[in-house]
Amino acid sequence: MSDAQTLAVEVKAIEAVTPLIKHFTLAAIDGGALPAFSGGSHIVVVMKGATRVHRNPYSLLSSPRELDTYEIGVRRMEESRGGSHYMHDAVKVGSRIEIAHPVNLFALDKIARKHLLMAGGVGITPFMAMLEDLHGGAVPYELHYSVRAPEHAAFLPRLEAREAGRVRMYYDSENQAIDFEGLLSRQPLGTHVYVCGPAAMINRVIATAQHCGWSDSHIHSEQFSAPPVGDAFDVFLARSGLKVHVPHDQSLMESIEAAGVEVPYLCRGGVCGFCLTKVLELDGELVHNDHYLSEAERAKGKHIMPCVSRARCRHLVLDL
Amino acid sequence: MLITGIKSKPVYAPLHADARGRYHLMLGHGAGGVALLRVLKELEETAPAALGATRVLYLPRPMIGNASASVAITPESGAADAPADPLAELEALALAELKLFASVPELLTDFRALLERSLMGTRLYVAGPESFIGLAMKIALEFNLNKDEIRAEELGSLARRVYCIHCRATAEEVRTNIVRCGGCGRWLLVRDHYSRRLAAYMGVMADAEAPGELPEIREVFV
Amino acid sequence: MSATLEFKPQESYRDDFTFRNSRAAIRRFPLPFPEDEYMYSVNIEPHVAGPPGSVTEHAFDVDEHYIAECRERALVLAAEPLRYQALPHMMSSQWDTLELIMESLARDYPHHFLLERHGNRWHWVNRPLALDDRFTFGEPHSLPREPLDYITRQAQGDFVVMDQREGDLWTEAGMVTTQADWSLDFDIGMTFKEWHGPVPLAHELGVFDRALKFLLNLRLGQPVRRLNWTMTVHPRLDTSPENYPHWGPDRSTVTLQNAGELLHLRVELQGLWRLPRSNAVLFGIRCYLISLAELATVPKWARRVHRVLKTLHPALVDYKGLTRYRDTAVAWLAPHDDGAPTSPGTGPD
Repeated sequence: MSDAQTLAVEVKAIEAVTPLIKHFTLAAIDGGALPAFSGGSHIVVVMKGATRVHRNPYSLLSSPRELDTYEIGVRRMEESRGGSHYMHDAVKVGSRIEIAHPVNLFALDKIARKHLLMAGGVGITPFMAMLEDLHGGAVPYELHYSVRAPEHAAFLPRLEAREAGRVRMYYDSENQAIDFEGLLSRQPLGTHVYVCGPAAMINRVIATAQHCGWSDSHIHSEQFSAPPVGDAFDVFLARSGLKVHVPHDQSLMESIEAAGVEVPYLCRGGVCGFCLTKVLELDGELVHNDHYLSEAERAKGKHIMPCVSRARCRHLVLDL
Repeated sequence: MLITGIKSKPVYAPLHADARGRYHLMLGHGAGGVALLRVLKELEETAPAALGATRVLYLPRPMIGNASASVAITPESGAADAPADPLAELEALALAELKLFASVPELLTDFRALLERSLMGTRLYVAGPESFIGLAMKIALEFNLNKDEIRAEELGSLARRVYCIHCRATAEEVRTNIVRCGGCGRWLLVRDHYSRRLAAYMGVMADAEAPGELPEIREVFV
Repeated sequence: MSATLEFKPQESYRDDFTFRNSRAAIRRFPLPFPEDEYMYSVNIEPHVAGPPGSVTEHAFDVDEHYIAECRERALVLAAEPLRYQALPHMMSSQWDTLELIMESLARDYPHHFLLERHGNRWHWVNRPLALDDRFTFGEPHSLPREPLDYITRQAQGDFVVMDQREGDLWTEAGMVTTQADWSLDFDIGMTFKEWHGPVPLAHELGVFDRALKFLLNLRLGQPVRRLNWTMTVHPRLDTSPENYPHWGPDRSTVTLQNAGELLHLRVELQGLWRLPRSNAVLFGIRCYLISLAELATVPKWARRVHRVLKTLHPALVDYKGLTRYRDTAVAWLAPHDDGAPTSPGTGPD
């Protein structure tokens, strides 16, 4: 996609729902309905700052049945290169921002016999919309939601009002922890587990599910990597005939876009594989930060996901 | 119209243990018992405790017509030194359960009941004639068992279940390239197009374009 | 194109086969051959608005055959209700499809269709079919039939809805009455490659690997399309495997004398849409029929189709069911091919 296909929205409300998470309500500028979507979808928010453009993916947390507004939750990231800081500091009620059409890379499995949802911190956001899709259906589901302390439990009142009895809270501050092994070892056949949260939690759920004998097709996770910072480097774009400098605090994709070259993308978080780009020449090493390429593919060094990955190199040529 | 070489036709491979599974559920029919025995030996070597989490549902004697025959070990079963009757060896293993059956419907009824109370972490292994595998897979699908949880090895008869696309009747134990439909009486050409949901191959009228012009009838699914 | 279509409600696709294309319908026929030879390709392009009057001007093309085609579908369904099927988990995709088709038709053909939405209370008017229904969106019992059944009885062409899971697309709902010899009843529940299993050569060429990868990433609001083709004896829409005993004998009746009237090029305009609430993919397969005689009124097309049929790969001749009459078709077209080069593109000269 490209920015030509974005929607212009206006920020209708901002609420600090935890010390770190702000809840944004967005509406179409013409007041009309926004595109329908499915639970688990995200939008890419295009933030035009003074010096650069940020494009960050955020899960839609509002009900797929209510299309007058979209809602997202943005956690202020300590090591952010600016996206979440921009949303927290520069965006006000009445601000206009651009968003891309929703994309779902974290969909519920429609023939599951049970859904087991596991959220950590701001990872609750995609589940808020998924719960609306599950609510009232015939398939059983339960949510296990872990946060640092009660004041960090975003959207808890809404959950308690709508999903009482199907949500269990865990507070680190009270030494409560999700019993991953206990839960994953006693699920009926045909259960699917979905996890969204910090990397350590996601890795733990995947490893525990595998340890309990789960096959990979029943394990779903979503973790958008913010593009990590790293050493500055230069890249030569073979088809465009351009040399592009990638500063230490800007991603490869952002730098290429700033030079006027479009890279096709869906998630901008190293998940979907859409921006897979051929590496034509390399003197140095690739720094893969995505969740898409296999170990074998990384070892070959023939492809890179420019949305989150970088290079430490003297010379790099990409097929763009 | 493509008759053979259709990609929906299931591809089977020799069974091996999937030690990543926590529970193992095995269905065997006739010579399929040999393949199950091989998997169990592998489990015994790699994860001995797994035998105690393994249930085997076994139909020792394949039904041929109305008469029962003893287990025939074919060269395809892949082991020249395979036991003549795997039953005795299966009985010697310390399994969670070994249950024997006299008919496919009885075995499948128990299989369904077992799936109802099975947990995530279960791996399914099916070994036997192709139609037996198909019927077991059809039930497994209803429980959302995915491809990465099921393994199957075809051993024994290749006789097919054939779904008449014209009248929806299913013919069992079809061994010939052409078969007369028991529902509508048409001669059906048996294609390789396979539906896992119906557990059947497609049968389509063989002489529609030139009535009476039938290919030679040959035994091909044996 | 004029804002109001002139329908030909008396046309038939069976028995006396009175279906004919008007001069205008011939000129807009979507010829699927950009060159004088044919082989598979992943010929997918964005489904954006084509030139005014073309079959791609609107998301869902409505033409002069609309009423007759909807009646033909009703006849097929009356005899064989299972031509429409939807697995239980496909309900949200049914509503998605209903919304997409109703919104498109009401927007693109306001003289013929009207949609009024007040929240979930919808009012739908289909003037050509004389329907006027009020229902609650999302409430299945407020419609006389399941939503997909209801809306696809009012649209031309077949529709299949594919659920996306396990990195695959599963054929799990559809309305299939105008098909080129495939059966929804048999294929429902299949993966993308199982469903396309009977297609020769293309698997080996990697066509379905690439198509599947592309479709898994299909985006909301960015539909795509492609053309496919075969041939049919008589203007018969329902060439189903189910009814093969009925139409199969036609293949033996083609002669050099009747080929111009009997043989039809059958072109499918296939459209693919990501559906919003279900994350499923809608696959529309719209069938256009043109007799060789009608086709030959455009000299460029007669030349090109003659050359395509003459050089067609034997596996495709067999797969498309042309074996018994391909040579006759080539012989009938030969006098229309003077050997002159054909101009680029698929449009008439």
